[in-house]
Amino acid sequence: MRACCERDLFSTGEASDRMEDGEEVGGTRTGRVVAEICEDRGRGQTGRANQGAQKTATAGTGARIRGKEAGAPRRRRVMSLNSKLRLQAAGFTHASASAMALSDYLVTDDLTILLGLITASVFLLYNLYKPQSLVHPILLGRQSDVGRVRNPGESAVHRNYGTGLMGRFPLRPTREVQTLLDLVKPEYDAPRTLWSTKITNPQLRERAAAFGTGLLRAGLTHDSNVLLLLNDSIEFLITDIALASHSIPSFTLTSPSLLSSVLDNHPPTAIVIDAGFLPNVLELIYDTNELSHHVVIVVGEPDSKALEQAAEQIKLVRWSDIEEEGKRGEKLTSPTPDPNDVFTVSFYEDHNGQLQGAQLSHQNLTAGVTTLRGLLPLSNPLTALDTIVSAYSLSTSFGRAIAYTALYEGTSFATTNSTRLYKNDDVVVPPGLPDLFSTKSLPLPSPTIVFAKPEHLNALTASIISEAEKSLAFSFAWRHKMAGVLDGYITNQSLWDRLVFDGARTKVLGDSASTIRGIVVSGGTLDDHALTPTRIALSIPFVHAHTHPLVTAPRTPDAALAHVGPPTINIEVKLVGVDDAALEKGADPVGHVHVRGPIVGRLLAVSDDAEDGADAAGEEPWVPIGHNARVQTNGSFKVWPVGK
Amino acid sequence: MPTLSLSTPVNTALLLYLLYTVQRILFPRGSPPPADDAPTEFKKGYSWMPRSHPPVLVFTKYTPKTLEKYDGKTPEGGGRILLAIQGTVFDVTAGRNFYGPDGMYGNFAGRDASRGMAKQSFDVEMLTPLDQPLDKLTDLTQEEIENMKGWHDHFSNKYIICGRLVENDAI
Repeated sequence: MRACCERDLFSTGEASDRMEDGEEVGGTRTGRVVAEICEDRGRGQTGRANQGAQKTATAGTGARIRGKEAGAPRRRRVMSLNSKLRLQAAGFTHASASAMALSDYLVTDDLTILLGLITASVFLLYNLYKPQSLVHPILLGRQSDVGRVRNPGESAVHRNYGTGLMGRFPLRPTREVQTLLDLVKPEYDAPRTLWSTKITNPQLRERAAAFGTGLLRAGLTHDSNVLLLLNDSIEFLITDIALASHSIPSFTLTSPSLLSSVLDNHPPTAIVIDAGFLPNVLELIYDTNELSHHVVIVVGEPDSKALEQAAEQIKLVRWSDIEEEGKRGEKLTSPTPDPNDVFTVSFYEDHNGQLQGAQLSHQNLTAGVTTLRGLLPLSNPLTALDTIVSAYSLSTSFGRAIAYTALYEGTSFATTNSTRLYKNDDVVVPPGLPDLFSTKSLPLPSPTIVFAKPEHLNALTASIISEAEKSLAFSFAWRHKMAGVLDGYITNQSLWDRLVFDGARTKVLGDSASTIRGIVVSGGTLDDHALTPTRIALSIPFVHAHTHPLVTAPRTPDAALAHVGPPTINIEVKLVGVDDAALEKGADPVGHVHVRGPIVGRLLAVSDDAEDGADAAGEEPWVPIGHNARVQTNGSFKVWPVGK
Repeated sequence: MPTLSLSTPVNTALLLYLLYTVQRILFPRGSPPPADDAPTEFKKGYSWMPRSHPPVLVFTKYTPKTLEKYDGKTPEGGGRILLAIQGTVFDVTAGRNFYGPDGMYGNFAGRDASRGMAKQSFDVEMLTPLDQPLDKLTDLTQEEIENMKGWHDHFSNKYIICGRLVENDAI
């Protein structure tokens, strides 16, 4: 600024040189004004600079007038000086005006600091505090391992991604568990409740050994077949373990309607039966005239009429008597069975309406237990503190596997009323909420894991949601829960649970609302729309699986038709009868499901659409299970029964 | 005295952002994407589906004539390279460096390589002409047959078995 002032003075001086004396006065005055302006500028006072500029203007005008008299060149020079000054002054004003405006915009005060802090914390809350999804989404894109080659007309072989195409199927939970008896670990001796009996593992093994000895003394041998017409109870388990450890095959039925055909086609040597069902069976036995071959072992106290009736014709023994008998004297032992030996046949009706038998070996059961243990998320595996409630009868393969998983893990166990197959009345207990709570009458700890059927689940979800709707914050809570589910995250510990859903759950479930921590549903079709409300209502790990009477574990578990996820770790699946042309174009394969693996039992009768020739390769044959499925691009399956 | 003026631009901007974020927290998006329009990348959404199935080959019966085009240089073969050992056809496209047109063992591409594998030779004499019946391999010694089986196992582990080789008139 100093420099421009000096230059101006200099030019003023120049100008004044050319002026006459009279003008010299004006020049000097101009010079004085310029000096003033420079001073003002130095002090940075805008106001006075403006005034200075005006003075310059007037002074300039004055000088101009005089300059006019002096001649044109001088005037021009003076004007250039004046305009220079004016421009400079004007420019300074402009710059300072915008500077003032910008700093006006950026003016911060205490509210800014306050707002800034709040915004920063909200931003962090929103972006960093989001809960992590339980399963990383990248894993959901490739849930099953798909083979690289497929036969024409079939899909590729699918396995669980964890097992992999090259992996071997896990056959048993640990190496020592080879047979059914090994599933009852002898070294584990904490008591737990099985139905209504508090018992430890060593005690259970004792009782099974005693019963087995009693059976052998009663005349049963390896060649005998024993038909179990028992409702689920500890006697069933003891009988099963005893028969298996002495390699005596047992038969079970998944439905009492199959009784007559089984008695016709596969007459058993002995029958173990519930007292309540005895009269029905007696009639059938009389019909078939095979009386002399039958030994009937009765659990419970038969009524006297039946007792008299039976005592004339058949050998009737009490279950408890056999156990007593076995306890006395020396225990009889048999050679350890081979894991591949068939120890039981579960009769069921297949999709063709035929009577079909699922031959289960020890290995099928141990592999089934392995699969079931892996069904729930690894972070919360089954422990001895759990209580399992199952809606699947022990007469079915899946039900048996669940029971033995409970035994192996040392949990308490019970089954619901709907599993009672053998009763003398025709009352059918529908699967629903009352059925689910039927175990409450037993002296059992509150259930933690439930294996239920879709009807149970739908009833449960509907009642929980209708209870929750009574709360004021329901729609808000639902919205937040839904957002969590969409991000892959469910928990039953959140604020919304405490506010809205816990109350509803407690009203519906009672005490078990706080203890239940996992639910596995299979055995029917579940609607796709039902899945999310279920997840929100229950907010616990929920597995939707597909089971089959031939298979001891779910075929396909999970996290229109709901999908059931990829094949479980112990099974491989292929679809037969797919449309090759559509497949080459990239469509989803749709076809009949064929399965293979250690949890698949062997069929007793060759089914109509079974594959042949597979035995030649030395491998197990593929078994059709009478369901159709569709594979989605991420490897999950949607399964439905044939005929729908 | 602390000044609390909302009219300043900075404060207004901060307040607007704050209100927007709070609204997103309190009222999250509550509906899933429609099933047809599911995102195809895992970063775009949690419930995503891959765009397509993983590629799968179809197990096919090949004759020497149909197998020949899969030598990696004929356009009809689509760039795939196949070779056969003991009647099993392997897809060796992954081993293009070895079995491709410029590879050391390029002679075997699209042909029955059994004799060459047995005798450990890559000469052209090991290959049977296309119109003749398949090589019966009866004049091989036990050692050579063992060698060939070893190669068969090696190929089974490393490459994909994608077909069988049958006579020219069998299909």
